[in-house]
Amino acid sequence: MKKAGFVFAAGALLALASPLTAYIGPGAGFAFLSSFLVLFLTFLMALFSFLSWPFRFLWKALRGQRAYKKSPIHRLVVLGLDGMEPTLAERFMAEGKLPNLALLKKEGTYARLRTTTPAISPVAWSSFMTGSEPSKHNIFDFLSRDPRTYLPDLSSARIGKPKRTVALGKYLIPLSKPEIRGMRKSVPFWKILGEKGIFSTVLRVPITFPPEKFKGHLLSGMCAPDLKGSQGTFAFFTEDTDKVRKHEGGVAVLVAREGSIIRTEISGPENTMLKKPAEIRLPLAITVDKEAKGAWLEIQGQKKFFLKEKTFSPWTPIAFRPGLGMKIRAICKFYIVALEPKFEMYMTPLNIDPEKPALPISHPFIYSVYLSKLLGRFITLGEANDTWALNEGALDEKAFLELTYANHAEWEAMFWNALSKTPKGLVGVVFETTDSIQHMFFRYLDKAHPALKAAPARMSAAVIEELYKKMDDLVGRVVATLDARSVLFVMSDHGFKSFRRGVNLNSWLHQNGYLTLVEGKKESAGWFKDVDWDRTKAYGLGLGGIYLNLKGREARGIVAPGAESGALKAELVCKLTALRDGANGPAAVTNVYDRDAVYSGPYKENAPDLIIGYNEGYRASWDGVTGIVNAVVIDDNTKAWSGDHCIDPALVPGVLFSNLKIKTASPSIMDIAPTALELFGLTPPVHMDGRGLVDIAGLPGAKKGKPT
Amino acid sequence: MGIVNLVFGRIVDVILLPFRGASPWFGMAAVSLLTALLMLEVYKHTSNQAAIRRAKDRIKAHLLELRLFKDSMPVTLRAQAAILKANLSYLAANLKPLLVMIVPLVLILAQLSLWFDRATLGPGEETLVKIGLEEKADPISLPMELETSPGLAIVSPAVRIPDQHEVAWRLKAIAAGPGHLTLRIGGLALVKSVVVGGRPLTKVSPLASRGSLWKQVLYPGERALAAGTPVRSIEVLYPAKSLNIFGLRVHWLVAYLILSIAFGFAFKGVLKVEI
Repeated sequence: MKKAGFVFAAGALLALASPLTAYIGPGAGFAFLSSFLVLFLTFLMALFSFLSWPFRFLWKALRGQRAYKKSPIHRLVVLGLDGMEPTLAERFMAEGKLPNLALLKKEGTYARLRTTTPAISPVAWSSFMTGSEPSKHNIFDFLSRDPRTYLPDLSSARIGKPKRTVALGKYLIPLSKPEIRGMRKSVPFWKILGEKGIFSTVLRVPITFPPEKFKGHLLSGMCAPDLKGSQGTFAFFTEDTDKVRKHEGGVAVLVAREGSIIRTEISGPENTMLKKPAEIRLPLAITVDKEAKGAWLEIQGQKKFFLKEKTFSPWTPIAFRPGLGMKIRAICKFYIVALEPKFEMYMTPLNIDPEKPALPISHPFIYSVYLSKLLGRFITLGEANDTWALNEGALDEKAFLELTYANHAEWEAMFWNALSKTPKGLVGVVFETTDSIQHMFFRYLDKAHPALKAAPARMSAAVIEELYKKMDDLVGRVVATLDARSVLFVMSDHGFKSFRRGVNLNSWLHQNGYLTLVEGKKESAGWFKDVDWDRTKAYGLGLGGIYLNLKGREARGIVAPGAESGALKAELVCKLTALRDGANGPAAVTNVYDRDAVYSGPYKENAPDLIIGYNEGYRASWDGVTGIVNAVVIDDNTKAWSGDHCIDPALVPGVLFSNLKIKTASPSIMDIAPTALELFGLTPPVHMDGRGLVDIAGLPGAKKGKPT
Repeated sequence: MGIVNLVFGRIVDVILLPFRGASPWFGMAAVSLLTALLMLEVYKHTSNQAAIRRAKDRIKAHLLELRLFKDSMPVTLRAQAAILKANLSYLAANLKPLLVMIVPLVLILAQLSLWFDRATLGPGEETLVKIGLEEKADPISLPMELETSPGLAIVSPAVRIPDQHEVAWRLKAIAAGPGHLTLRIGGLALVKSVVVGGRPLTKVSPLASRGSLWKQVLYPGERALAAGTPVRSIEVLYPAKSLNIFGLRVHWLVAYLILSIAFGFAFKGVLKVEI
């Protein structure tokens, strides 16, 4: 009532105002002008939209894009739950804890979904989207290696510097855009759908950075970098000198308090506009207010806000200025871990601001801007959930879960928006929530896990059960939106198993004479620092690959291609499959896959020569993955990261649920792409290795005639 | 009201003091800049900045939606409806600052009109002086006499217009400088200032009134006329003034509107104001 009176009074005042007084200042005046501009613009766009619609319709018809003419369905929804483990899903369904998934199983389909070799998310999701085995899409791991240097590269994308620059004083002005090149090959099925006029919205599917052009909208997922170009570098500000050490996936910053004020810096991206590139830093002042149980944060002397202890800040936009008036924008969240006795604060990796992206993270470019304006700022980093922060003790389990579910809520909001705006076509989304939480809490399902002995349990197996229930609830809500001509696939790219023991392949290779260190060294630091390549036959890199030091391929290769390399591979397969954890212990490796036996595509040469299929409970060790060589071959994994899937693919299939019946008992992740094409009345291209899972002719909406 | 006019008048006088000998554009730019900064601060503190930001974001999002979903008629229609709704929210969020700002703005504009609305009389120039009377007063029979200070001269007898309750004289400016008119009526003397010549930016008060508060607000250049006579106003018809740019004549209000909005827009980022 009070508000209505206020509005009336305001209206009356405006109505009575003379021309002189109708102008209400540069603030509100501008607001009103722009408001009328918006109305005018909207009217024009509406008019254009109405008038042009018949022509656009005609154009589409003339081009033969009667997209859904032969399509038995209107909409396909692919709900990816990264890493959902079939044995857990089956158990919880049997216990009546997942009613929605159980209903899909009863009325449609449930099957274990065969994964790729190796069973790693970027590999599996690339096979999902291309319908092809890894040697056709060129993704074999998170990491690939440069055979000239033996150093790792990110397998999914290369971000280079601008090709053309001009020097101006201390600056190097870019005249062209930085080179951003996707390394994944082959064609995602949504691009084929788009060529036939079928619209898609694809959200957070791994290995979609940089985004490719197609008819639809896409937001990049796993492997999209942070502003520093890394896969996520958190910052941990602490007064505790004992905690300042090298952190995986993050940096620790020692801070000191003067009175109640801590002055420190936020470390930003490298300033490549300088002739001598240097990191851009922003001053951060933290004023601790013990009585209010929080602190005032002031970034660059401007943004000032209060943050309570053990509370996440909202996404905070910050801008780095490389010079010449340019700004590189990021967003981050802060979390005060402790005020006393020692101040400790976590800061998320610097995410690319979706509202003003420094790198393209969506297609079209404005899609991320649109989502941000509509739903608020959101996490854009590919590896979104900060597992390293929990692993390294920068966050506790409760805070990690809070952050992870907050990210999940952002993705859900985008997903619902896509569902509501895509009545026809494809909606594909991958939630990595399932993967991240299982990685970090799997030990609670495994009472014998070494991490439980190393650190007391603070939570329980209920965390994972709760996760599965939440996902089941999500599935239930999605099913409720489906009409008779909508198809739903709920799937995971791989399953999960406990990761109790780590195997350092490089140490094993060293102990068995295949990898040699330089004279006088008994161990090697990271990335093969002390390896003598002239006397090394093989090396391990990534989560399960062994590369031969091949002549003509590796810079200092010594193994001749052909008979010698074949014999070496056979020898390694034989010895590794015999590797046991202790004299009478279990086998650490169940299978070793020769790439020549499992791959046949054009990019086979980029694959590791051998792919290790670890036994359940084992995985590549933390040291081994980063090229460290030491005396330990197999040791306990005592980190919070206690579940994994980078093992023998046969042991970690994913799940597939659908509201349709499928015609095979043993589907593969590569079958989803051809199935999607067939559901929309299209013939899958011959290069796809997967096969259609659904009897299309038997569908109620199936039309007679050949697919296009 | 007199005190308020005095305070605002002094402030504007001080601001324009350095620009009196220069082109009026300089004074206009200075006033526009200062009011833009002042109003931005007022706007910032009287508006719900978060609500304005939200409404603007929604408008932008749905505008982008029109572009992103151009082939979907239902989405397009829903987006248009959403834009209208968000626009209304935006306008509603602007009402409070509007109401707060309108008061000082009217006072400032009234002061600016003294400087920019009318030009002074040139020596030798003639114009009219009008006396507005109450409706019950008869201009034919009412005895009144208009006297001038040196430098001014009455060059016609009084013209009495009963229908308009008005008496008018023709006034001639003889020499540059401040002057005044004295109207003697019923034993009282009412004084009205007159300006002849002067610098490019000179304060000119065209009307002295005994009217309502609203009149006092709109014509703040002189003290209110004394009560006890049937005279409502004394008005000197100064020539209209306009600002020139590249040969184009621009009304001062238009110039002020454009400049203050431009300055407001330019400084909103610096002052961190969401408009």
